[in-house]
Amino acid sequence: MDTRRRTATALVAALALGPVVAAAQAPQAAAPPAQLSALAPANIAKARPKAPFDLTGNWFIDTSTSAEAWRFGPPYPKLTPAAQVHVDASQKATKEGKIYRDDIGQCWPAGLPLIMTRYWPMAMIQIPTAVYMVSGFMNSMRIVYLDGRKHTDPDIVVRTFNGESIGHWEGDTMVVDTTSFRGDHHWMDQGGLSIPAGEKLHIVERIRLISGGKQLEIAYTMTDPDHWAGEWKSTKRFNRVDDEDIQEVSCLPDLNEHLQSTSSKTQVR
Amino acid sequence: MKKILAASALALGIVAPAVAHHSPAAFDRTKEVKLVGTVKEFRWQNPHTWIEVLVPNEKGQEVLWGVELTSPTYLIRAGWKSNTIKAGDKVTVVGNPVRSGEPAAIFVSLTLADGRVLHERPARLGGTP
Repeated sequence: MDTRRRTATALVAALALGPVVAAAQAPQAAAPPAQLSALAPANIAKARPKAPFDLTGNWFIDTSTSAEAWRFGPPYPKLTPAAQVHVDASQKATKEGKIYRDDIGQCWPAGLPLIMTRYWPMAMIQIPTAVYMVSGFMNSMRIVYLDGRKHTDPDIVVRTFNGESIGHWEGDTMVVDTTSFRGDHHWMDQGGLSIPAGEKLHIVERIRLISGGKQLEIAYTMTDPDHWAGEWKSTKRFNRVDDEDIQEVSCLPDLNEHLQSTSSKTQVR
Repeated sequence: MKKILAASALALGIVAPAVAHHSPAAFDRTKEVKLVGTVKEFRWQNPHTWIEVLVPNEKGQEVLWGVELTSPTYLIRAGWKSNTIKAGDKVTVVGNPVRSGEPAAIFVSLTLADGRVLHERPARLGGTP
C-alpha cells in the first residue's frame, strides 16, 4: 500500500469511528430500571399469596334495574364551571334535537370508566401478575397489573383513554388504582350529559366477585378536581356471560360513511 | 316519503336496544318510517350491520335510505344470517328516523318478500344469568 492509499484508508476509518467515539464520550441519560413483563414466566412464577378470586370470564353490565345502568350517575357530583359549560351545551343541543361532541361515535375510544359499561361484554383473563381485559366494544384493551409494580413516572408515562391500572388485594377485594388518562375527547357520560374526563382523573375500583361467582361488583370512586368537586361514587354490577365470546370489532373508515346518524347535520362538534 | 313518515309516526313505548357505538340521540324514537323498496347493500359487520335500501319518493325518484342495525351477534340470536337479504331483494323496513330529516333510520323490523318478519334481539337488557 502506498503512502497516499494508507492516508486515505486511515481517514475513512477515522470518519467511520468518529460518531462511535463521540457517543461513548457523551453523558448517558439515566434509563428507568427494567420492569419484568407481566407475561414473563419468571414474573408469573414468583411466590405470591393465592388470589382470592379469578375474574377470568366474559362480563356484561347488569341492566336489570335500568337500561340506563351504563351511566355512572345519578347521583352526579357538583361540577366545576369548566365541566358545566359542556353539560349546558350538550343539554341545549339535546333540546334542539342535536348531538353534542359524540366522540365515541366518531371512533374515539370510550375510555375508562365508560368502556366498562358499553353494551358489549368485557372479556377478562386473570393470571397471577395481571388481569387482561378486552372489550367487545372496539376491542379496547385494559391491563390491571397485580405484580407489585408502581405507577409509571408521570414524566415518561404515555397517557391513554383507559389509563394505567395498578391493582392489589385487600382481603377478598381487588383494589385497582388508575391514573394517567388522556384528557381530550374523553367523557364521563354522553347523550345530554357531556361531562369531560381530564388528565387529573383518578379512579379507584374496589372489585368483588359475588352471587357465587356469577356477578362482579365494582365500586367506583372517581376524582377530577378540574371537572367536579370531591368524590364521584358509583357501584356497578356485571353478569357473567358464558354463552358468548367477544369478536373483532373495529371502527373502520367505512362504518360511519354508512351510518348517517354519525355524519348527520344533528352532530355538534 | 313525507306522507309515509306522517302516516307511520306513532308513539312506540318500547325499550329500544341501546347497542349503538354512538349516541342514540340522533334518532326520534317516537316516530316510525316505513320503507318499501329494494336492497342496495346489506353489510354484515361489527359493530353495526346496515341496510341500504332504495325507496321511491312521491316524484318517482329513488332515494337511498341508510338503516343501521345492531351487531351480527345479536341478529344471529334473532334468526338472521348474513344472506338473509341481498342486493336486489324487495323488502319493507321499519325504523326510527333521524331527527334531522335526512334519509336515515335505526332499525325496528324487516319484512321479506315472502312475508317473514325479522326483528333485532335486544342486547341483554336486564336479568341475571
